[in-house]
Amino acid sequence: MAKLGILVQGELDRLRKYNLFTATTVVLLLWVGMTWLLEAGEVTAFVPLILLMDSTMMSSLLVGATLFYEKKEHAINSILVTPVPETEYIAAKIIVSVFNSLLTFLALAATAYFLKGVTFNFALVAAAVVVITAFHALLGIWFAFFSKNFSSLLVNLMLYIIFLMLPPVLADLGIIGEKIARFFIILPPDAAGTMLQAGFATVPLGRLIFGFVYLLALSAALYKYIVLPGFNQYAMRETGV
Amino acid sequence: MFEVRGLKYKYPNAQDYAVDGIDFEIRQGEIFGFLGPSGAGKSTTQKILIKLLKDYQGEILYRGKKLTEYSDEFYQDIGVSFEMPISFSKLTAMENLEFFRRLYKETVDVEPLLRRVGLWEDRHKKTGEYSKGMKIRLNFVRALLNNPKMLFLDEPTNGIDPVNGKIMKDMIREFRAQGGTVFLTSHIMSDVDELCDRVAFIVNGKIREVDSPRNLKLKYGKRVVRVEYRENGNVVSKEFTMEEIKTPAFFELLKTKDIETLHSGETTLEDIFIKVTGVALHG
Ligand SMILES: Nc1ncnc2c1ncn2[C@@H]1O[C@H](COP(=O)(O)OP(=O)(O)OP(=O)(O)O)[C@@H](O)[C@H]1O
Ligand SMILES: [Mg+2]
Repeated sequence: MAKLGILVQGELDRLRKYNLFTATTVVLLLWVGMTWLLEAGEVTAFVPLILLMDSTMMSSLLVGATLFYEKKEHAINSILVTPVPETEYIAAKIIVSVFNSLLTFLALAATAYFLKGVTFNFALVAAAVVVITAFHALLGIWFAFFSKNFSSLLVNLMLYIIFLMLPPVLADLGIIGEKIARFFIILPPDAAGTMLQAGFATVPLGRLIFGFVYLLALSAALYKYIVLPGFNQYAMRETGV
Repeated sequence: MFEVRGLKYKYPNAQDYAVDGIDFEIRQGEIFGFLGPSGAGKSTTQKILIKLLKDYQGEILYRGKKLTEYSDEFYQDIGVSFEMPISFSKLTAMENLEFFRRLYKETVDVEPLLRRVGLWEDRHKKTGEYSKGMKIRLNFVRALLNNPKMLFLDEPTNGIDPVNGKIMKDMIREFRAQGGTVFLTSHIMSDVDELCDRVAFIVNGKIREVDSPRNLKLKYGKRVVRVEYRENGNVVSKEFTMEEIKTPAFFELLKTKDIETLHSGETTLEDIFIKVTGVALHG
């Protein structure tokens, strides 16, 4: 674990040098601005939505982007021949994703609190952001395994979000009945939405706990059975990126 | 250092074996070369030896212990130069080296190395702005960063100008002089001839011959002395075998004629490669 700090620092450094940090900051400023312009009542509806986007889609995309340039520039080969285990290399990417999502959380929470006087359950939302981001960062690595290039990664992630968000939306519209809709929490984006919502409104405790346990278990399984075993082969595969 | 027995490797989704049952050893303190045409399996073998490709068949021992039993600490010992550039393009050469330097226990001062390969002046330039040759030279410095005991050099002089090529070859020889071991691949005959203590000819994933360049020349080569002299305004050329130069006829010629050039004609390693494998190194 000794090298983890160096790896994290390296990742952050490169996010800056590759202008990915600038991109996320611009988006963040946009959201902060929008939060500021909203009515206090709307803020509690808007903030969880932004955090949901940021912790799911954005986290997966950002991890995927770093993987693609590392592979394209073959820097990944150079990392693989250092005494750093793959576990630490993957861990560094997850930590940096979580760090970025927490930054968004802090900026939005501060805007809501100081500019709009809106409070919510900060600790619960922060915890939700950490778990959701960790899962989606791993998901981003997995998607990178089978996406040919960055745009196909983007398309695959969009399909993931749209496909898995659709059933709950249909339920909200009353097209799918309540009986079936209860089970939609097994769709990760829906579980994530529930977890974030819990910081702003009352959510049944059972569903909240299920969300946390479920995403943590999924993360562990994704890491152990897909990301870690597939990583070396992914790194060594020649792609025409 | 390395003992390799019955090594076979097939890439996932590939039809044929990229490495098709090879045996060889790399001895401590030697420069061991793999000479072969494009697609022969040189880089694949290197990637297996440095633990990047794992699902191989056969046995590989490193310092008497199975390669599979080594942890990532194995990488403290070795330095790798890949055939393609491997640096972060938006980082400068120094930033690249600094990042990797911190991942090792023991490292060296990069200034003398960068000066030697002519990159010191450009050390604060982003490597994305480097030429191909500069990137490969940086790879070489990267390989030496952790003061390795063994170097793996995949086509180290590919895309390098002759002056820098000579510098790198000198550095490789110095590395050996200090007790280092080198595994080197190339399709350039002169690299192998100048550097390697022993060379393996590899074609289609199979080793056809292993020996020192000198022994290969003795075994397969034809050694002659060619004399060119002027006679009646024409240049005449005559060849003598090693036996014939001991005869009076040879000395008579040297004494009486106007000698212009005197060459010992050795069969090149490239000629021998073609003779042994039936395959040309290029094209
Ligand atoms: N990632 C890969 N996936 C599938 N096949 C591969 C891969 N890399 C190499 N091969 C195939 O394996 C064989 C050996 O390739 P290798 O790169 O080891 O050759 P090489 O001797 O290093 O050639 P070169 O001189 O061009 O570098 C070739 O037939 C090549 O097409
Ligand atoms: Mg090669």
